[in-house]
Formats: sequence, C-alpha cells, structure tokens
Amino acid sequence: MTAELSTTVNSFLSFKLGEELFAANVGKVLEILELSKITKVPQSPNYMRGVINLRGNVLPVVDTRIKFGMPEIADTINSCIIVLDIDIDQESVKVGLLVDMVQEVLHIDAENVQPPPSIGNKFKSEFIKGMGKVDDEFVMILDIDHVLTTDEISIIQSSVNEPVQEEKKKTTTRRKKTATASKASK
Amino acid sequence: MENLQEIFKAEANDLIEDLEKSLFSLEQNPEDKSLIERVFRVMHTFKGNCNMFGFETMGDFTHSLETIYDLIREGKLQLSEEILNITLLSVDHIRCVLDDGELANEENRKNHEKLVTGIDKIINENIGQIKSVAKDSPPVQQANEERLSTYYILFRPKDYILKDGTNPMYLLDELAALGKSKVSVHLHDIPRLDAIDAETCYIFWDIYLTTKAPITTIEDVFIFVVNDCQLEVHKIADENLLENKDFVEKIDKELSYKENIDVEELQKFVNSLYQNNQEAEVKKDELKTTSTSVNTGKKETSVSSIRVSSEKLDDLMNLVSELVTTQASLSLFAEQSNIPELMAIAENMEKISRRLRDNTFSICLIPIENMLTRFQRLVRDLSQELGKKIELKTEGTDTELDKSIIESLADPILHILRNSIDHGIEDVETRKKQGKNEKGTILFKAYYSGTNVIIEIKDDGKGIDPEKIRSKAISKGLIDENAQLSEKEMLDLLFLPGFSTAQQVTEVSGRGVGMDVVMRKISEIRGDVSLESKKNEGTSTIIKLPLTLSIIDGLLVKIKETFFVIPLASVGKVYEVNREKVTDTFNNLVVLDGRQVPFLNLHEEFTLKDDIPDLLQMVVVNYDENEVGLTVDEIIGEYQAVLKPLGKLYKDIDIISGATILGDGTIALVLDTNKIIKNFSEKTYKMEEIK
Repeated sequence: MTAELSTTVNSFLSFKLGEELFAANVGKVLEILELSKITKVPQSPNYMRGVINLRGNVLPVVDTRIKFGMPEIADTINSCIIVLDIDIDQESVKVGLLVDMVQEVLHIDAENVQPPPSIGNKFKSEFIKGMGKVDDEFVMILDIDHVLTTDEISIIQSSVNEPVQEEKKKTTTRRKKTATASKASK
Repeated sequence: MENLQEIFKAEANDLIEDLEKSLFSLEQNPEDKSLIERVFRVMHTFKGNCNMFGFETMGDFTHSLETIYDLIREGKLQLSEEILNITLLSVDHIRCVLDDGELANEENRKNHEKLVTGIDKIINENIGQIKSVAKDSPPVQQANEERLSTYYILFRPKDYILKDGTNPMYLLDELAALGKSKVSVHLHDIPRLDAIDAETCYIFWDIYLTTKAPITTIEDVFIFVVNDCQLEVHKIADENLLENKDFVEKIDKELSYKENIDVEELQKFVNSLYQNNQEAEVKKDELKTTSTSVNTGKKETSVSSIRVSSEKLDDLMNLVSELVTTQASLSLFAEQSNIPELMAIAENMEKISRRLRDNTFSICLIPIENMLTRFQRLVRDLSQELGKKIELKTEGTDTELDKSIIESLADPILHILRNSIDHGIEDVETRKKQGKNEKGTILFKAYYSGTNVIIEIKDDGKGIDPEKIRSKAISKGLIDENAQLSEKEMLDLLFLPGFSTAQQVTEVSGRGVGMDVVMRKISEIRGDVSLESKKNEGTSTIIKLPLTLSIIDGLLVKIKETFFVIPLASVGKVYEVNREKVTDTFNNLVVLDGRQVPFLNLHEEFTLKDDIPDLLQMVVVNYDENEVGLTVDEIIGEYQAVLKPLGKLYKDIDIISGATILGDGTIALVLDTNKIIKNFSEKTYKMEEIK
C-alpha cells in the first residue's frame, strides 16, 4: 500500500497490551499471525523478541510490551504477531509486533482524533499520533514508523508513574463495550 | 513505447558486448573468416534493430561500419589495426549514444561526425583501390540498399503440408510480392490419378526471385513452415538476372526439368554469364551470406537462451526455499502418519524439490567469462595509451559464480588490472634490458578450490619493492620507523586506506584509493584478497570467493533451544569436553590433543548461562591461523544453509551473519565466528587494560 493511501485511510487495527488499547493504521498492517516459535538472537536488545519464519523469510519480532515499558508476561493463547510494513530510512521493512490481543478494525474519522495530551500521558507524545475517540472511549493511535525506528529501548516517559492506576480503571470499563477480540480481522 | 525502447537497449547492450568480444577474437586471428562473418552479422542485426526502433542515426552509422566489414569479407579490404581501432571507438560511441538517439549532446555529435568521417575515409580509400567500382554506385552504402539481387529458392514442402492447412500458393504469392520472380514447378512425383491422395502434396518449386530485400526477408516468408519443408535460399547474383536473356533461356530450357539443381553449377553458370557480359563489373559474390539450409533448425544464431530479469530469479529463489521448507514439513508429517502412499508421495516430492533447488541455484550461476570483455578492453586501451605491449591471457573462464558476486567483482578486478598495467609491467625498453619478452603478460586464472572460487591475476612485471612500501608507510606514519615486518606483512600494508605506492599520480591509478577499496569491496561479498610478489618476476593478486552468497555449508549445532550454523569452512575439529573444564577455569584455556586451545563459552556469550549440560561439544574453528574453541550443547550435523538477512532492525548485531530456515520451519542463526572471536578478544583486552 502506498504511503499516501495509508495515511488517508481512516481505519485502524486496535490491539491490547495489558489493559491499554492501541491502534495502528490498517494501511501499515499486512497480516496477523498466531504465535509461533520465536528464535532469540543473542546479544540483541531485550525488546527484540527474536525472529520467526514467515513462509521462508525471516521476520524480526518486537516485544511490544517491553518496548512500551510494560512488565514482561508469559505468552497466552491470545498473544499474536501483527505483521507491519514500516518505513526505515525510506526503505520499507517488514516487522512483527508481538501484542497481547488483537481487537478489531475501528473506523475513526479525522475529526474524532484529538492530539495527545501533553500532561499526564504515560507515553512520550512523539510516538502517539493522536487519541482516537470511539464511543466515548479513547484509543492511542501509534506512529508506528516512529516507534520502531527509534533506538530508545522504551518509549515510556521515565518520570511519570502515578497516572497508571487511573488509566487502568478507565480502560477496564471501556473493554466491556468493545466487541470481543476477533483475530481474523483483516 | 518506453518499454520497447528498454528492450531495444537491453538487446543493444548484448549485441555491443558480443561485437566487442568478436572484435577481440578477430584481433587475435585476423585471418579467421568466420569471425569477420560474426562481426558483420552482429552489426547487421544491430542496424536492423536501430531502424526498427527509430534510432535512424545509429542505424546509418552502423551501416557504414558494416560496409567496411562487408568489404573485408569479400576480400577487398585487408583488416588493419586502423580499422579495428575505429571500430572499437565506434562501439564505444554507440554505447554512449544509446541514451541520446538524436545526438542532442554536443560532444556526442562531434564524436559522431569524427567517426563518420573516419569510416568514410576507410571505405573510400579502399574503394579507390578496387579496380573500377561500378559506375552507377558511388556511395557504397546506398548502392547496397538499392541493388537488386537474384536468389534461387528451392521450396519442397513435406507431403503432409496440406493437412496442416498450409496453402503453399500463398507463400509463393508472398514471394512474388517481393520482386520479380520466375517459378518452375516440378511435377515428377505426382503418381497416377487413381493413386493420388488429395491431401498429399506431391509437387515442389524452384523459384528465381529478383528483389531488393535481403535474404532474411525471404526466409521470413517461410517462417511458419520451416519445419515442414526443405528450403534452400541462395543468392546467386547481385543484379537482376531475370533480365538477362541467357539466364532466362537456361531456366526455361534446362533447369525447369531438372529435378535437383546443383547450386554450385548454377553459380558457375551465373559467373560465366557475368564475365561474358560485363568484364568490368566486379563480381560481388561467391554465394553471399552463405547458403542457409533451413531444413534442420532455424538459423544457427537461433536463441539458445532467454532474458530474465534478476528480480524474477530472486523471486524464484525465494519460492524454491519456501517449497523446500514446506516439503520438509510434509516429509515429517508423512513419516509420523504411517500411511505408505503418503510416504511415497512425500519421498517423490523431496526428490523433485531437491532437483528444483539445485537447478534454481545453478541458474543464478554465470561463468566468469561474462566479464572478461571489459578486462580485455582495458588491457588493450591502457597498454596502447601507455606505450606498453601487454597481452591478457585467460584460463578457466568457464568457472561459474553467483551473479551477484560477479556484479560486485568487476570493479575490483579492473582496479587490480590497472595496477598491473600501470605499475607492474615495465615499458618495452626496460623489459628488453632485463632480458624479458618485450610483450608483458597478465594471466587471469580462475578455478575451484573446495567451496571457493579462486581468481588469480598474475603479471610478469617488476613486482613490488618491499623497501618502497616500507619507506612509504613510514612517511605516511602507518608504521614505526623501527618496525620489523615480514614480507607478507609488508604487502598487507598495501591494503591500508590511503596507501598508494605510485610515485607519480597518473590518470590510471595511484589516486590514493587503491587496494583498500579492492579489499573492502571483496570482503563485502565475503571474499578475501592477498598479494604475492617477487621482485622483477611479477605480482600475483589472489582473490578467494565463496561459490554463492546465498548458500553456505555449515555445521548445525544447538545451544539450549536455539539452532546455530557454524560455517564449515572455518571448522577444524570437534571435541567432547566436560562441563567442569569449561566452567571452572580462570583463563579460558582447554587442553585438546595435548595442546592448549583458547575457548569461548557461547552459553556465556549469548547470555544463556544456566543449565549448561554435563557434556559439551567443543567446535574448534580457525581464526587468523590460530585455533579457537567454541562450546555448544549438541552437534546436529552438516547442513546446507540458505542465508537470509536478519533485516535492518538487527543491523547492529554483527556476530550473526544471517539466518536460515530448517526443514521443520525453525530458524537457525548463522554465526560469524571471526566476528565473535574478534569481539571477545577485544573485550578481554579492554578488561586487562582496566586492571
């Protein structure tokens, strides 16, 4: 999909990490894979989970939890890999994101996307494109290219720890409303 | 249209290359008629292509060139150095002009005019010598196109031709449309009426055709029936014989009844006609463009290969790897299922996919010969420019290498050759004084050595003076004044960046970027360069290359749950050691075969520290003439690894040169042992410093 098209499409694939809901533009998403055996590459940063065999090609997999500064947990039946096509130095690269659970494809109109709040945000705002509003709930729309090209180990803001609890409450209520996870979403 | 031009250019490049190659062979064997024939033919094809795709300027240009070779072919012109030079210059020119068909570039235009004048001069000078050239054709090139020629065509369809729905009459009509023709039918084979099978063709034809069209046009008429008939096309004269009464009479009286016309006899007859009629007219031909008996396959130049974009090949390669992987899972599944039929199928699949894999790999291999023309050209041009006499000899040019390696090899080799020509081989005077053959030789030799290909470039020049290197290195501050270096170490200095021994910077080499670039380029393709030199005897540059970039022979090993591949080329021996020997040690040394061998605990290196098994395998690898042991848990066996890059996200990990996919779909990582050991020794070195 061309870059132009991917930015104009207003559909987003939402996924969960713990209780947080994130979304990536579907223009960037190639496919969703079930978790398969991941080979760890020695001496690589720990957010690089390893490589998997994607039909004869080697696909690097990023452990999104660690990259986002969340505690590491054991993989569950819902864990899966979102294969993305991202741009690194104007070159398109395939990469897998290991996430806890894939939710659904959301349609969010441009007017429902608000700029990320500058205060009280757990994540560095440069990685968040905006907060998408769906049924009075907010989804963090990620700037995927940016998240994966940065050399920083974690994209989490180092000083902010307090708001985590509050946000958690919010997301639990939201979860009830959103449709149950559908892995088969395109 | 854009697309067509691309095709034209690609084809043109091939033709130009072919032309250049033929010219070089021609230079070596100037008497070889078949080579002249080949040069001519290539030019002819190229001219045709130019005109077809609307590059008329180039078409005309090539046409003039072709005229020269036409004259040579006919023995009217002696092949000379001058001609070869101008032809090679023209070839260069054509190459430049491919992107500038209309000569928009001022320089191209000037060059073009210069060459055209040169060519015309050659043609005209020689035409002056050829007795009296036909009065009515001053510029040969025009005359050639305008001139009528007479052809004798034998068209004998196979008896089943009518069953295919071919109507021979249409073909004859088409021929008739090309010019004036006279047809005689042979009816001898027609049986009695009651024996005639209406669907069988019993007759055949002799056709005498006068046309401006070239022989190929005539052959093209029969293009669809080539395999269903006996076809012979002979050019018998360069004029309109059908206006010659004697000839027509002969046809009517004799030839129409004769079943088998002897072409040679016919030719003799035509020649005698010539002599009778026009003494002055130069007979152009003994059977021009040679008789082409088209009965067996198409022309001898028929396509034996096709053009495929390398992208498609890469895709094919990937698909094959996928297939092999899938097939391996199938075999695994079949084995577990215990269904005999399934197992048989899986086994067959395995055989086929293996062959497919081997084939695909071999497709990507191309002989080294493909890049030789460039080298020959360089040697020729440069040696002329420098006033040296140098011959490039080649050996083992059929050695095959992966196409991507060949692509990145050309520049380094050109550089090495330049060095040899410029600095290595002496000028004629010096060589004579030293009692050497005044003609210098550069030997280009390629051969297989295990899983490597070795390319050796050897000159018989003055060699490299170690003292010169030494003083240079000292003046550049690369080594200490008191440093004691072995000869080999001295030569290795040449590979350092910014080192160039040429006292004088010439246009050719000695720009300061020298062997270090060669070294870098070649290590990029996992190759290695070394130098050997003897004063006054010459220098050899030896390039060692892997057979392909994509597959390596490796030793498959396992550390905990992860598979690794260690390149087999570097593996020396494997030993079994106890855990204690590895863990309870201060200095990372282990005694193997009575020798102390430093080792690296890969468990530790790869931070997989816990649960080291009781028994470990120690793989001893070669590192810079030393041996270093690497510990692994388990040796699985030999494995052909198809190398896949890890991708940009892992660009900082240099100890892994890639990944490969095993039969069951798991990934094994290919280790770069040199890097691992180097990193490790650097690390320990630093630790010591801190202490």
